[in-house]
Amino acid sequence: MHSLFQDKIRSGSFVITAEITPPKGTDTTKAVENADMLRGCVDALNITDNNRAVMRMSPVALGKILKDRGHEVIVQMTCRDRNRLALQSELLGAYALGIENICVMTGDHVKSGDHQGAKAVYDLDSVQLLSMIRKMMNGSDLYGNPLDSAPEFMVGAVSNIDPGQAMQMLKFKKKILEGADFIQTQAIYDPDLFESFMEYAREFKVPVIAGIIPLKSAGMARFMNENVPGIHIGEDLIERMEQARDPVHEGFEISCEVISRIRPICQGIHLMPIGQHLNTQRLLEMAGFSK
Amino acid sequence: MIISQDKPFEEILELLQDHRTIFIIGCNTCASKLHVGGEEEILTMRSGLEDAGKDVIGWALPTAACSIRSWEHLAEKDRSIEKADAVLVMACGSGASVISRVTDIQVYTSNNTTSLGGIFKGEILPDQCKMCGNCTISYFGGICPTAQCPKNLLNGPCGGCADGKCETDPDKDCVWEMIYLKLKEMNRLDLVEKIYLPRENK
Repeated sequence: MHSLFQDKIRSGSFVITAEITPPKGTDTTKAVENADMLRGCVDALNITDNNRAVMRMSPVALGKILKDRGHEVIVQMTCRDRNRLALQSELLGAYALGIENICVMTGDHVKSGDHQGAKAVYDLDSVQLLSMIRKMMNGSDLYGNPLDSAPEFMVGAVSNIDPGQAMQMLKFKKKILEGADFIQTQAIYDPDLFESFMEYAREFKVPVIAGIIPLKSAGMARFMNENVPGIHIGEDLIERMEQARDPVHEGFEISCEVISRIRPICQGIHLMPIGQHLNTQRLLEMAGFSK
Repeated sequence: MIISQDKPFEEILELLQDHRTIFIIGCNTCASKLHVGGEEEILTMRSGLEDAGKDVIGWALPTAACSIRSWEHLAEKDRSIEKADAVLVMACGSGASVISRVTDIQVYTSNNTTSLGGIFKGEILPDQCKMCGNCTISYFGGICPTAQCPKNLLNGPCGGCADGKCETDPDKDCVWEMIYLKLKEMNRLDLVEKIYLPRENK
């Protein structure tokens, strides 16, 4: 099937993606409703893989269900839960089910989730996983055994955006060297920092999709500052949220301001609202994206 | 040094519930240094077991529980071991395993073995080595990411690292921060530029 998301990424067009979390159970009704609300206003749905190490339905399974309903999907694949055998067989299975976009990440440690005594696998790291996928796309498994048919994925990866963190930037560079087709970032609240990251990233010529999480309250902002790595919400924004008569609207205003600043310098946004996508379409309209 | 910790006493009693006559074997190397298998801990264990109604018929403190010459050598210092119906080893899992090989008496351990580490200036340093069989320590300024990064990463930090601290524990320095600072000081940051292949699990 023709992938508009891939065409847009390759041609340098601006893309909009949105995060979908699989259900903790077998009923996909809510996840499907959530996805359907975004029909026509985003280019792809990015499905999380046991995010925060909380056990949920396989993103490949939900990806297939959403794909069958006509959605373009990106399936996240973390290194936390599968060894090199399982990663490869999952990837082959995903491709056979029609999933063409993968987003690779290390994965939150099991200590942050609801199965704290689980074995944290990390048989490969995200750089090695990218390299393995590249190998599979070239027709062989990790150990060089030929595949009788090869997958053709578009493969994304994630990155921190602080150019002051040398090791994080080194990891970003390694991900590009190992063939990441696009880079997705954590939620952006500081366009100046993002701008300096883009100055660093420019020479690598990789499409960057900036994360957006609309704030809902000052408390949420403080909570994220303390608990979500890689997120820095300035005191000025927290103050604005505190003073706002309608904090949800203020959160949207802030997101729109960030989007308008970063839109000219990156290749997309990735929307990760807390909860359902009830207001995502409104946010996109406010930010000037027409359906 | 093998790092081990003592199990809760209730668990030890549960392990020994079908036994009355107990012989205790400590270890005068790692477990003794860590105060989980030296003479003092053996004597405390003895009185605890006696208070719980067990008959502790003797004890031994070999130089290393994991390096026993023979049963004869172990028994010659205290023949009462031959009358015991259970042996309680206060050492790491390796010590308990080696002792199990030289006797038919049922062997129990009082310790949980947690890592291969060391002691420096009195401070216990856990997780210095993961015994992975692919040693990369020479590339990382003598700091092992396999042992010290909870995600065993080889190509740099994860996105969970915040302000130089580990995602899993805000009091723990991110090992990649430590490696970066060490290699920077050594002027060898080229070593982290390299892309490391997956380790071969052995």
